[in-house]
Amino acid sequence: MSTGAKKRIMREFGECQNDMPAGMKINFDEQNMTKWEVLMDGPDQSVYAGGHFKLEIAFPNEYPFKPPVVSFRTKIYHPNVSNDDKGSMCLGLLRPDEWKPPNKVVAVLRLIQTLLVEPNADDAIEPSIANEYRENRKEFEKNAKDWVKRYAK
Amino acid sequence: MADIAPDDERIEELNTLQAIYPEFTFEISNPLTAHIELLVAPVKPLPVTFEPEQQVERLPYLPPLHLDITLPPDYPANAPPSVKLTTTPSWLPEHVLDRLVEEVRAKWKEYGGMAVLFNYIDYLQEAAAMAFGLTEVSLPTSEKSDLLEYSSRMKREIFDKESFDCGICLEPKKGSACYRLERCSHVFCRACLQDFYNNCIREGDVDNVKCLAPGCGKTGNPAVDRRKKDRLLSPKELLQIPLSLDTVRRFANIKRKKKIEADSSIAFCPRSWCQGAMRTQKYPKITDVSQMDESDCEDDEPAELPVSTPAPEGPERRPAGVNGMDRLAVCEDCNLAFCRVCLASWHGDFVRCEPRNESQLTEEDQASLNFISKNTSPCPDCAVPCQKSFGCNHMICFQCKTHFCYLCAAWLNPDHPYQHFNDPKIKACFQRLFEMVEGDQPEGRFGGRRGAELEADFWEQEALRIQMEEEPEDAH
Repeated sequence: MSTGAKKRIMREFGECQNDMPAGMKINFDEQNMTKWEVLMDGPDQSVYAGGHFKLEIAFPNEYPFKPPVVSFRTKIYHPNVSNDDKGSMCLGLLRPDEWKPPNKVVAVLRLIQTLLVEPNADDAIEPSIANEYRENRKEFEKNAKDWVKRYAK
Repeated sequence: MADIAPDDERIEELNTLQAIYPEFTFEISNPLTAHIELLVAPVKPLPVTFEPEQQVERLPYLPPLHLDITLPPDYPANAPPSVKLTTTPSWLPEHVLDRLVEEVRAKWKEYGGMAVLFNYIDYLQEAAAMAFGLTEVSLPTSEKSDLLEYSSRMKREIFDKESFDCGICLEPKKGSACYRLERCSHVFCRACLQDFYNNCIREGDVDNVKCLAPGCGKTGNPAVDRRKKDRLLSPKELLQIPLSLDTVRRFANIKRKKKIEADSSIAFCPRSWCQGAMRTQKYPKITDVSQMDESDCEDDEPAELPVSTPAPEGPERRPAGVNGMDRLAVCEDCNLAFCRVCLASWHGDFVRCEPRNESQLTEEDQASLNFISKNTSPCPDCAVPCQKSFGCNHMICFQCKTHFCYLCAAWLNPDHPYQHFNDPKIKACFQRLFEMVEGDQPEGRFGGRRGAELEADFWEQEALRIQMEEEPEDAH
C-alpha cells in the first residue's frame, strides 16, 4: 500500500475520532491499519436495539480508488448482509462502480447504521429475508430479534 | 512653490491608502502623484467580440485599470484631485473612461472638499466588478491573444494562491499543487489525479478517466447518464494535469482501438505480426494528442445501431455479400492490400471468394481463442470476454453494463441481481456469490464457467507428468 493511502487512512481515523456517529467504536491497530474493527450498537429505533455487532472494514491496496470491504463478524438477520460466515455487504457506496475516492469510511459507517434502521429490501443480497421483510414484517422482526439475542449480546 | 510639509493632509491620506492597498504607490514631489492598478474581474464574465471575425470570448479577467492621481496644492479643500485612467491594451471605450474620470469631481463635491481618494477607488472597484456597466465590448482581433493570455494568467495566479482540500488524499493543498477540471470545475490535487488516471490508463480502464467527485455529471436521468463516455477527460486536458505524453497517447489509442473493435465493419490485417485495422475515414489515425480537446474525438456515436448487435468474434465472421472493389481493404499499419472477405492479399475485383472459416485459423489464433474461451466469461449480451479481478460474482459488463453471473454467465435482473445466488434450484451458483473475491488467480484457478474444465486439464497434465516421472523407474 502506498504511503498516500496510509496517510489517508490515518487521517480518516482521526476524523472519525472527532466526529464519531453515536453508538460506534473503532479498534485501530497501528501495526495493521488496513483492517479496522468496528463495534456498532444496534440503533435504538431498530429491531437490532440492544445488540452489539462487530464489523470489519478492510482497505484494499488501491484505497481510496477502490472501496473498503465491509463484513459483519457478528451474525445478523438482515436483507443486505449475506447470511453466511462472511457477513458481506455489497450495495450503494460499497459497489466498486459506485464508489468515488472522495467518499469516506464515516459515510460507509453511517450508511450501515441507516440500513440497520431501515433495510433496503430492493437491493437485497438475501432475497428470502427481503421478501419476509416486505410481506411479513412481524415474522422478520421476530427473527431479527431472535438472532440479536442468540449472537449479538 | 513651497515644499510639502510632512504633516500635510494629503500625505496622510496617501499613507493611509498605501496601508489599505499594498500595490498603491506614490511620490512626494510637487505636485504629489500616486498610482494604483485595479483588478478588473467582472462578476459575470464579459463577452468580448473580436472584429472582423465576430469571435466571442467570455473573459473572467480583463487587463487592469491604471489610475494615475495628481493632487494639486489646493486639494482637498479647494480643488478636486486630477485623475487619469488607462488600460493597456486600451480595451475600455473612451466614453466609459470619461464617465469614470468625471465621477471624481462629483465625489469630491459630494464630500464637500474632504479627502475623497479612498471613496473614489472603492467606487472604481465596484464599477469594475459590474464590468463598468458594459454588457459587451468589441475589439480588433489583433488584441485577442493579449487579452486571452492575460485572462488565463490571472485565473491561474489567483487559483494558485487559493487553498483546497483534496477530496482524495484529504490534505489541504495550495492551488498551485491542484488542478481544476475544465468541464465541471471540481478541484483535486495533481498528485492524486496523476495517481488515479495513470493507473486507469495502465490497466486499460479508459472509461474511468473522468471526474472523481461523487455524483459528478449524473443528472438522475438514466438515459442521459448512460452516455457516460461523454464525460471522459480530453487528451489535451490530461496533458495539462500533467500526465506524460506516452500515457496520454496510450489513452487516446486505447479509446480509438475500443471503437474500432466494436465496429463490425472494420477488418483487421491478416498478417499475424501486424493485425492492424484497415484504413478508414471513420477513425482517423491519431497524430497529435495535444490537439485533441474533445473528450470523444469520434463523438458521433452510431446511436441508430441496434444495441444488441453481437460483436464479431474472431476473424472468421466477415460481412458477407461485400463484392467487387468493396472488398479491398488496406492495412493502416503495414499498408498490405487485402480482401476483407477471404482475408487473403488482394486478388482483384473479379475473383470470387469465400469468407474464411474457423478451420483456417492459424495455430496461433486458435491457441489464443482457446485461451480466451477457457479463461473468461462472456457477457450474455455483448459477448465481450470478461475476467474478474476483484469482488463478488455479480458482474456488470465493462462494455455494455449488463448484469451477469461470473460463474455461469447467466443474465441477471439488474433490480434483483442476488436472487440468482440464493436460489437452491440453481445448484451451480447457489451461495457462491462471494467465492474467489480476490479475483482469478494467475496460477490457474479461475472462477468463470469453464473453471472446472481448466482444473481438469491441469490435473490431466499433472497425471501425465507423474506418469512420465515414474516410467524410467519401471524400465529398471
